[in-house]
Amino acid sequence: MAEVKLNGISKSYDQGKTWIIKDVNLEIHNGEFVAFIGPSGCGKSTLLRMICGLEDITTGEMHIDGELINDHPPHERQVGMVFQSYALYPHMTVAENMAFGLKLARADKSIIKQRVDEAARMLQLEPLLERKPKAMSGGQRQRVAIGRSIVQEPRVFLFDEPLSNLDVALRVQMRQELSQLHRRLKTTSIYVTHDQVEAMTLANRIVVLSPLQPGAKTNLEQVGGPLELYHHPANLFVAGFIGSPKMNFLNAELQQPGEEWSTIKLTSGETLKVAANTSSSACGSQVIIGIRPEHVLLLPDKKQDQTEKDNTVIATVSTLERLGSESFIYLDHDSVREYLIVRVTGSGLQNENDKLGIHLPPKQCHLFSAEGLAFSRTHKPELNTCQS
Amino acid sequence: MGDETCSQSAKSDQNGKSWLAIILVGLIDIVLLYGITLMYAQGEIAFALLTLFLMACGSWVFISQRGYCYRYVFPGLLGVFTFIVFPLLYTINIAFTNYGSNNLLSLERVREIHLAKTYSSGDGSWGFRLYQEGGGYHLVLEDNDGNQFETLSFGELFEPVSIQAAPLKPDSAGTTGTPLSMREIIKQRSSLKQLTIIMPDGTGLVLAGLRKFGPLSKIYEAQTDNPLILTDTRTGETLYPDMNSGFYTDGTNEVGPGFSVYTGWKNFNEIFSNPGIQGPFFKIFVWTVIFSALSVVFTLIIGLLLACLIQWEPLKGNGLYRMLLILPYAVPAFISILIFRGLFNQNFGEINMLLELLFGIAPEWFSDETLAKSMVLIVNTWLGYPYMMILAIGLLKAIPDDLYEASAIDGATPWQNLTRITIPLIIKPLTPLLIASFAFNFNNLVLIALLTGGGPDLLGATTPAGATDLLVSYTFRIAFESYGQDYGLASAIATLIFLIVGLIAWLNMRVTRRMQEG
Amino acid sequence: MAMVQPRNLKYRVWYARIALWLFLALILFPFLMIISVSFRSGNFATGSLIPENPSLEHWYLAFGIPWENPDGSVTEPFFPVLLWLWNSIKVAFFSSILVLMLSTTGAYAFARLRFKFREHMLTAMMILQMFPAVLALVAIYTLFDKIGDYIPWLGINSLGSVTIAYIGGIALHIWLIKGYFETIDNSLEEAAAIDGATPWQAFRYVLLPLSVPILAVVFILAFIASIGEYPVASILLHSMDKLTLAVGSQQYLNPQNYLWGDFAAAAILSGLPITIIFLACQRWIVGGLTSGGVKG
Ligand SMILES: Nc1ncnc2c1ncn2[C@@H]1O[C@H](COP(=O)(O)OP(=O)(O)OP(=O)(O)O)[C@@H](O)[C@H]1O
Ligand SMILES: [Mg+2]
Repeated sequence: MAEVKLNGISKSYDQGKTWIIKDVNLEIHNGEFVAFIGPSGCGKSTLLRMICGLEDITTGEMHIDGELINDHPPHERQVGMVFQSYALYPHMTVAENMAFGLKLARADKSIIKQRVDEAARMLQLEPLLERKPKAMSGGQRQRVAIGRSIVQEPRVFLFDEPLSNLDVALRVQMRQELSQLHRRLKTTSIYVTHDQVEAMTLANRIVVLSPLQPGAKTNLEQVGGPLELYHHPANLFVAGFIGSPKMNFLNAELQQPGEEWSTIKLTSGETLKVAANTSSSACGSQVIIGIRPEHVLLLPDKKQDQTEKDNTVIATVSTLERLGSESFIYLDHDSVREYLIVRVTGSGLQNENDKLGIHLPPKQCHLFSAEGLAFSRTHKPELNTCQS
Repeated sequence: MGDETCSQSAKSDQNGKSWLAIILVGLIDIVLLYGITLMYAQGEIAFALLTLFLMACGSWVFISQRGYCYRYVFPGLLGVFTFIVFPLLYTINIAFTNYGSNNLLSLERVREIHLAKTYSSGDGSWGFRLYQEGGGYHLVLEDNDGNQFETLSFGELFEPVSIQAAPLKPDSAGTTGTPLSMREIIKQRSSLKQLTIIMPDGTGLVLAGLRKFGPLSKIYEAQTDNPLILTDTRTGETLYPDMNSGFYTDGTNEVGPGFSVYTGWKNFNEIFSNPGIQGPFFKIFVWTVIFSALSVVFTLIIGLLLACLIQWEPLKGNGLYRMLLILPYAVPAFISILIFRGLFNQNFGEINMLLELLFGIAPEWFSDETLAKSMVLIVNTWLGYPYMMILAIGLLKAIPDDLYEASAIDGATPWQNLTRITIPLIIKPLTPLLIASFAFNFNNLVLIALLTGGGPDLLGATTPAGATDLLVSYTFRIAFESYGQDYGLASAIATLIFLIVGLIAWLNMRVTRRMQEG
Repeated sequence: MAMVQPRNLKYRVWYARIALWLFLALILFPFLMIISVSFRSGNFATGSLIPENPSLEHWYLAFGIPWENPDGSVTEPFFPVLLWLWNSIKVAFFSSILVLMLSTTGAYAFARLRFKFREHMLTAMMILQMFPAVLALVAIYTLFDKIGDYIPWLGINSLGSVTIAYIGGIALHIWLIKGYFETIDNSLEEAAAIDGATPWQAFRYVLLPLSVPILAVVFILAFIASIGEYPVASILLHSMDKLTLAVGSQQYLNPQNYLWGDFAAAAILSGLPITIIFLACQRWIVGGLTSGGVKG
């Protein structure tokens, strides 16, 4: 159990010509379960590998329990790592795989046996101890990989997309097992994934990373609890990355800044009211409105007079995706770059090329500046309300 | 990244063993330094430098943390450097000298040899008596003043020996054993000629006639102002080293042994202008190219056809055919080549026996130029086609079956299949291999050395050269065949071959790279 | 190759078979002949392909046993074939071990470690590999002559010299092993590093056990190559008891002392084990050749 502290961590593979990771500051508390999430290639694995010592830290300081570990080789850091490919030693049995590290450390035979047995019991691996990895299923291998780090009693567990090689059903099951394991062992854990659901369900806190944009100061976008990221994304990147399908973004300009309510005008002309604090911005500046598909409301029917209602726009149905219990309606609207997506429960009964009136509830809207930073929201987000 | 990762790995591999390593490296270095000093003292500058260089690299790699990664490659590189790179450079160096069996030594050694040459000068003489005692002999010498000296005992001698003599004690009279008669002394003359008797005052005596020994004098002495020039003490003539020919000369005659000197481009000029070398060299060069190209073509055609054939499923028993067809490759080449040498033998060979039986002819495989060349090609094709077949099988397996199925629907014949699908698809990955095969055959010394030894001999060559000789075997013969080993010339030809091989290697790299890209 | 050719397939198969058999007869002729010669009495062709009165004369001599002729005279074995075979095996075995050790460690570094000049070293090695040792024989001779002044058992006319001279040819093997290492998941060694293994331990306990197949291939390739090596051995070895088979065998066919029959028996005796090893490992060797060849 330990605290991990990252202080201005940066990484470059080519002596500073291009940076993969820049200026990441992060404090992970004792017993916490933290997930790193971000699109492919943004440097999640690299960051994790720097924590366990498989990659050099180009600049910055890394502490575990207050101890500077920049120059420690991997095994001195006392961390355990579970690889995406499991990395089980193919020529050793499960028991040997788990005991390898202890043997290298010249631990007592009895201690090795005791720890291996205990881990095997915890992970229900007892009947498999004498098998070779080749003769096991993906889920079993996964457990062995976890067992291998458990026996070392590491201060921190590191997982690099441990579930991505499993099928969906197994992934759900293993997710729950991991969650239980963490509740039992309470070891500080860092978990890399690109699956939001995994991150949201497992983690106490989520770290969102983005591919480093040229000129950006850092590629750490936001750190926070799962719901915090959902409801209060700090910027456009996080807003767009968290949630599925993606949040809708509508281009607009600020018509009347305000501390509690702001009025904006879409590029297509409609005026909307949003519960966000824009007092620091000037009238007329470019802004972006964000609203999640599940928060957009459909008006009962396409009556013309509803245009007059607050926060309503008219859009044309482009495509429909009907999943049975819910449907996604893709709408064309001039202020949106691609589509405006609306989620409705039930099988959407609309047709293509229908004109629909949609309501954007002011308290569910997010507002971002042209630079992509979020204006703080002034009202507690209302509970998700969906309609058919 | 570079060094970072390297020293990073090193950090985790240091647990107190470093002191041991340093001590070990230190010990090895001390031994090597001793050796280097010896080499330097003997004038082996090149080898001393080589060892010093390698030692320095080795020490750094095994002591410094930054050298950690190189520890894994150092031993291998050491081997490559010592047995490939160094010989290569050394050979190029020799190409500019006249190093060879006539000019083997360094100038200093030759000078020492001249300075050590002696003759019996004849001033003062010692009469002698030869005594036999059991199986051994000894001499009693007497100078003009009647002083007598007795030598230690010696047996029958076949090579020069020097033995000590001591004053004969008057009472013992030197008479242990029987004095031999003149006739018997003549019998022992060859032994006596080998003797140098060292007198108590240090002068050496040698046989100077049938009845007397005379003192030895040095023939040459070095001039004081120029120690390289030697003066004949008998005639006063001077002998000076000719730095062009690599011999000591008095102006008209060369006095052996020769020493090796740098002769600049002489060996290369020789290759291109001396008709006795130039003629054979170009003939051999052309033949080498033809031989390599034809070998590649023949083995490729046969290998490819066989590969197609035994990949053909309806044939059945493909595995067995494959094994039998690979057999020529599985038997060590030196054995197969010698078998062919026996089978093709003009008089006792089974091939001629069969031909005689069937057609009544007995071709002279080893003395007719064209026949010898065809024989070499036949044998090399026999030896080489399995390799091509193996490669072709590997490449053919990579061609998806559905291509042939598609072409069958279009009604293609097997021949069209081969030329339209198979060959275009495998020619790309095959090209670098064909170039490598060309290079291999270009240097196929074993075949020629064991099969024909180069023969039949070419006419008008001043160096050993034969009709079937390849450039390598030609080089090999110039360097190592018994008459007049000329290392310098051989190395010059080798240097030219290096250039050709380098060209082929470069070509191969380019082709490979292009193949990987496209 | 699946050729879809239902019509007259049967005839085609038979044509192919007959062609193949004729070709095989041609190819195997030398081997059949040499077997026949080894059982023929005397050293000169007697006019028939199948020996009329087979004799074991040559086989006795090949095994080093004196042969008593029908007329009572005794023929002593001319050449110590078994000793030569033994020399060849010793040289091949030790040089292959050396080659294996050096090329494995080298390949590990090239496959896994990152250091300066890595690419350059690799390219240089591949190019150097093309230069045959044959061309530098004078230098090699001089080199071993000099080494012999300090370390006699590595000097001229010692088996040690030939053994270590073969170390030069490791580039191809490094390439082969490196290719194999690269197919092994790197995270295995990373896992080992986290488990507390030093790079050496990760190499020794994880990578090596997984690479046994390729190491066997390299060993066999190196072994066969050094058994058959002629030029270097022929200049470094002189005395009858130090020769390797490749250098010694040709003495049988010296025109002044033509021992065709003795050669036949000796050739079979010494060639057979090597051929059998080759055929037994055919699959791996072929795999190694094609992959190494196609890559390099
Ligand atoms: N050894 C290396 N040398 C150079 N660049 C590298 C190296 N390893 C990774 N990178 C680069 O670093 C970036 C981050 O890679 P990383 O593996 O950390 O991404 P990731 O976030 O884990 O992606 P994924 O979700 O696909 O696993 C990538 O752009 C990759 O190309
Ligand atoms: Mg990753």
